[in-house]
Amino acid sequence: MIAQNDRKLNINIILIVAALIIFILLPNYISGYYTRIFTAIFMYATIAQCINLMSGYMGYLPFGHVMFFGIGAYISAILMKTGLPVFVAIPAACFCAIVISIILGFPVLRLRGHYFAIATIGMNGAIMTVVQNATEITGGARGTTFPIITVPPAVVYKYFYLAMFGLMVITSLVMNMIVNSKFGFGIRSIKANEDAANSMGINTTFTKVSTWAIAAMFTSIAGGLYGYWMSFIAPDEVFDLMFITNSIIMMLIGGAGTILGPIFGAFIVETVSEVAWSGFMQYHLAALGIATIIIVFFIPRGLIGTITDKMRNRRIKLSKKTEVTNV
Amino acid sequence: MSDNGVILDVRSISKHFGALKAVDKVNFQVKKGEIVGLIGPNGAGKTTITNLVTGELRKTEGEVHFKGINVSNMQPFQIARIGLTRTYQVVKPLQGMTVEENILVGSLFGRSDRENDLNSARKTTHHIMELVGLEKKKDSKVSDVTLPDLKRMEFARVLAMDPEVIFLDEVMAGLNPSEVEESMELVKNIRAEKQLTIVYIEHIMKAVMGISDRIIVLHHGQKICEGSPTEVCDNPAVIEAYLGKKYAKEVISG
Repeated sequence: MIAQNDRKLNINIILIVAALIIFILLPNYISGYYTRIFTAIFMYATIAQCINLMSGYMGYLPFGHVMFFGIGAYISAILMKTGLPVFVAIPAACFCAIVISIILGFPVLRLRGHYFAIATIGMNGAIMTVVQNATEITGGARGTTFPIITVPPAVVYKYFYLAMFGLMVITSLVMNMIVNSKFGFGIRSIKANEDAANSMGINTTFTKVSTWAIAAMFTSIAGGLYGYWMSFIAPDEVFDLMFITNSIIMMLIGGAGTILGPIFGAFIVETVSEVAWSGFMQYHLAALGIATIIIVFFIPRGLIGTITDKMRNRRIKLSKKTEVTNV
Repeated sequence: MSDNGVILDVRSISKHFGALKAVDKVNFQVKKGEIVGLIGPNGAGKTTITNLVTGELRKTEGEVHFKGINVSNMQPFQIARIGLTRTYQVVKPLQGMTVEENILVGSLFGRSDRENDLNSARKTTHHIMELVGLEKKKDSKVSDVTLPDLKRMEFARVLAMDPEVIFLDEVMAGLNPSEVEESMELVKNIRAEKQLTIVYIEHIMKAVMGISDRIIVLHHGQKICEGSPTEVCDNPAVIEAYLGKKYAKEVISG
């Protein structure tokens, strides 16, 4: 049994390493158009991973979570305009996002369910309004630009591809570590039953706020990279709730409460969106909506969730069978 | 620790919901190693007292001292970490997790002055599951388990937290007579092995009388009587409020 598990682990590691190498080498062989699509997929997968930690594991759906995406993008832009290099600006923006998430987290995480989701939308709106009206600092509603990158576009796209890919991989690894740790059991207990979790010795307030801070951290890095990649950002773009809506759909399709789910979901949804976009233009949102309803109706645990459930049930059945034969 | 073995000292606690005095100036003490029964008719304030002691409800007045520490203003998780915990009348399993994971969460968190990293918690979980007889159900999701097993699991989860005092809030509600018998045996055996102090909240008189060292009777949020099982059965106020004359006679004679 143990040898079998080891072999399974080895196969998984080989698969993951192979996927890493393929995706690192991929931009050398595909056109700029596909490089950009992949970069967007990695970005969405990162955000979906954060939503998954909050919603899939902890049961708090942060609908306005895009505020950290916008904060990451804007603070990076403002800092880079003062002449700071990107390696300083994005971590600084990330730090600000963490601080803001902690300050907002204490009051807003006292709310549960829909109330929490709606309160975060309100906060996102409030932050967007501030950004739109602080014209001297942010450039107001007309948006702001990042410093111009002097490297040729083809090379730049490859850089952003690799950066987003790296972010997605690191985010997924960190999430995997978190959910399998003691802290992760705390997070999952909060989703399962918050009052019981508290009475079992879990500091629920601390757990909720730190989880939100972790989610805000990765989302803000994605925001900073996105802004630099686009080189121009506007408030109604980087604070657009569509980022979160898409990420939620990706999480649901891939499987909420699984680590691979958001990644697969991002691939599926973005690919379908691209195909539908070229074919139907404005109808692709409708197609996405219908696909989501079908998925939630027939496989509520999502693709990865359903597969792992099936595998788990088979394993239990097998172990019961061997028990019987042993007797 | 305080003098003469008192581990839990409840000093004149009250809880008022508006004009309703759900709990009114109730005093009691629990000694280390005792099983204390807490009985009373529906709405007498038994569960409210549990909620007040474990910090889930804010007290209108009064203090609770546990192991000499004033826990009156602590949060439930802080109280659980120093070794005072409870089960719920309506089971609160961690939905979406397996039976094993539920108990694992108990041993991962719970009392904090012990080793509780993942490895040692898994060992504790395994041991506890053997103790209460849940190994066969360990991979089942809690949604697939029967009520008696859920109650067993909740008791196991509380044990995994390694507490010193447990409030068992109607662990037998909804069980049939043979399951009650099993549950009583389980509580007795484990209490002896783990040297637990238990506050036992129960409606089933047979269970309370058979298991408790001392009984506290509540009525309309007030303590009306306290004493050994036979003393309580003889008390006219208790018979009036709760037992009824016929039952009191039956218990004393049989």
